[in-house]
Amino acid sequence: MTATTTGISTAAVYPHYLHCLAEADEQAAVEVAHDLLDAGVPADRVLLDLVAPAQAEVGERWARNEWSVAQEHAATHISERVVAAVAACTDVRATHGRIVVACMDGEWHALPARLVAEMLRLRGWQVTFLGASVPAAHLVSYLHRYDAHAVALACALPMRLPQAHRMIEACRRSDVPVVVGGRGFGLDGRWARRLGVPWAPNGPAAADLLADERALRAGAPTSLAHLADDEYAALVSRRGELIDSALADLVQRVPAAGDYSPAQLDSTVSDLGYILDFLAAALYVDDGTLFTEFVEWLVTILDSRGVPAAAVEATLGHYVRVLHDFPRATGYLQQGRAALPVSVRRISS
Amino acid sequence: MVCGPDGTVMHVSPVAQRLLPEVVVGGTLDGLGSLDPEMTRHGRRLRLRRASLSAGRSCWYVEDVSDSVERADALVAERSRSAFLAVVGEKLGNPLHPDRAAAAVVRLAVPTLAEVAVLVLAPRSGRARWWRARRVDDESPTVDRGVLIAAELPPAVVESLRGGEPHAVDWLVEQAVDAGWLPGADLSARLVPLPGRDAPMGVLLVARQATRWYVEEDLDLIRAFAARAGAALTTALLYRDQTEMADTLQASLLPAAPAPAPGVQWGTAYRPAQAGLRIGGDFYGSHRLPDGGSVFFLGDVSGKGVEAAVFTGQLRQCLHALHRVEQHPVRLLQLLNDALLETTLAHGQGRFATMVLGVVRPHRDGGLGLTLAGGGHLAPLVLRSSGEVEQLPLSGMLIGVVSDPRIGQVSTRLAPGETCLLYSDGVTEARGGRRGDEQLGTDRLTQALTGCQRMPAPALAERIEQVTCDWLAQRDHDDIAVLALRAVGPGDRPHRHLHAVPAMSEPEPEGSTGP
Repeated sequence: MTATTTGISTAAVYPHYLHCLAEADEQAAVEVAHDLLDAGVPADRVLLDLVAPAQAEVGERWARNEWSVAQEHAATHISERVVAAVAACTDVRATHGRIVVACMDGEWHALPARLVAEMLRLRGWQVTFLGASVPAAHLVSYLHRYDAHAVALACALPMRLPQAHRMIEACRRSDVPVVVGGRGFGLDGRWARRLGVPWAPNGPAAADLLADERALRAGAPTSLAHLADDEYAALVSRRGELIDSALADLVQRVPAAGDYSPAQLDSTVSDLGYILDFLAAALYVDDGTLFTEFVEWLVTILDSRGVPAAAVEATLGHYVRVLHDFPRATGYLQQGRAALPVSVRRISS
Repeated sequence: MVCGPDGTVMHVSPVAQRLLPEVVVGGTLDGLGSLDPEMTRHGRRLRLRRASLSAGRSCWYVEDVSDSVERADALVAERSRSAFLAVVGEKLGNPLHPDRAAAAVVRLAVPTLAEVAVLVLAPRSGRARWWRARRVDDESPTVDRGVLIAAELPPAVVESLRGGEPHAVDWLVEQAVDAGWLPGADLSARLVPLPGRDAPMGVLLVARQATRWYVEEDLDLIRAFAARAGAALTTALLYRDQTEMADTLQASLLPAAPAPAPGVQWGTAYRPAQAGLRIGGDFYGSHRLPDGGSVFFLGDVSGKGVEAAVFTGQLRQCLHALHRVEQHPVRLLQLLNDALLETTLAHGQGRFATMVLGVVRPHRDGGLGLTLAGGGHLAPLVLRSSGEVEQLPLSGMLIGVVSDPRIGQVSTRLAPGETCLLYSDGVTEARGGRRGDEQLGTDRLTQALTGCQRMPAPALAERIEQVTCDWLAQRDHDDIAVLALRAVGPGDRPHRHLHAVPAMSEPEPEGSTGP
């Protein structure tokens, strides 16, 4: 952390800044950032050492069910305003080409991509930030209209990898290289390698990669030969039917589920859908760990909201039964079951 | 040829004799070297095959395969040319940005056609832009670009731009070296025009080592490549000209960010059905009134796409003019109805709109007073400071259909921290759920907003957009628009610093983070 002559450091103001986010106090949060800039802390340090970790904390508080979605959403909005305020205080002349930064269609957590966009801007790139949830058609028509050196595409959730792949291909057909980032490609970027697209773990790495045009264009070949078994395509087309059967199975096992409120029913249906979407993504990149990591995460989230992990186990079991002729899918489902807490597995067996 | 057990040649057929005159009866095959199955002798490609005979003798079959090998080589070459052109067609087949298309052309030419490829576009306004790709040690060539004043273009390029294909290659290389495109004179080079709509739209210079002369077959390939490149560049330029025009028109049809107003925090969301088009039939906006209040509106016109967007433009312009003469929401909506009726009758379009139009005025206590008029649109929601969501009782008839429609009216107050939300039916009629056929509905929307009273207006608008899109799960949808206005309370706290938070409009215009 940067210690400055006036004694203000990001570490020192961090708790206060978090408090501002908790109180949804936009003005105070922006003031914290301005104070740091005034004290001589460089803009990129304010973004990396204050905004980014605070936003990560916001996400964790939501995951622990300490914050409601509304609170998380409000805090995120304020973080975005802080980034805008920091950006407005820096005056960098664009000396490099244009980079288009976009989030996957359906993804609303734009802040990490926004931070990368600012990081690139501070490095002299001319940055266009298309924002959260960018439809592929919008991105492509933008690329036709404006010459871009590259597209930086963020994907936060691995379940969107098949869609991300289509988006990457669309950019490449426009002859614009793509660099990807975000947790959706795996913490080590392994699913980006599977899709044959350059990956950067963070803003500074993305900036380095973009500066090296040959590395940017040297995409490895995609290794998706496994898609020939059609498990992915079949799972996607049977999604609705599979959710119906899983719901029927749930009502049979847990009669209380029959009395769910409409809101409870909606969230159950979307959870059942997420399981299939992550399973489909795992099939797409041929990596069971994608699904296992999701199951572990889901159990944590549900646990903090009082939903027993046994419910997940039973649903995975149901999907194993109905997908018996999908060897890869059932394999992943079994691996997912094995990742559940031991107590759960004993109860259900 | 038949050989004995000791390798002595016992018999040579006349054909073998002709192909291999050095082999004679009584001699050996040692003169043929290692006896490879394929060998070249006396300018012919020969294939040798050995078969064992009885008593240790062996028989060598000799076949002249020169012609078939030549044909096979020609076929392989032809196939690689077709494959190359197929790749070129694929890469240049999509409409590209003109600069990108130019860069792609030179990049594709290396290494198949050249070690160095330079594309020079026909000069515009006295300046000629060029792109160059050079082969480096590995597969991916490096591309750079530059500009030359038209008067400084090499004469060969000027001639080629007129449609000629200069053949005096020596001075071509020198001219290209002078222009700074080629590293040295020890190269062979050719210049080929790129066909455009009438005159060539550019020329392609290809160069490689002097030892690899361009023969007629190479030139055929280069011309075929140039034809595709010319078509791609022409398309790209045409596309650019048209999108420039479309963008200008589009910008005038996009909903404008609401004008800042004291005591009001605005939030908006806008997601047209056709993402590539970025405009649609939903609209919103606001205008300041002289008394410190604002008139605001959100609505939806019949129809989709460009035509609908054009109609929203007419409607917004009407309101822009009318709000100066009438500030009461119901009477303003009535005036708008008359104006629309007149134009739609005149043009026989039969278009109509649904909308909510309101006037907001700040109160001393920091709250806001709202009067809303309804023209057949979904009733607004109010998010109270208790966290509860209330639907305002507002109804009314469509605007632009009958001459004296029934227009609903409702008034309410927003205490500081309370938000009024206007939205289009793209939100509540979004289809999703298990089968993708269930509407989101007002209940789910209300549920999603309940307890969100601490959210700023822009975050609330985005939340509605997000909930709707999550529900849609990538399915097609109608235009989606949201306008939120929140009472922010009496006067903002004074800043501790002189610099203010930069004013930002929502939604941010594209490229807002650019310099």
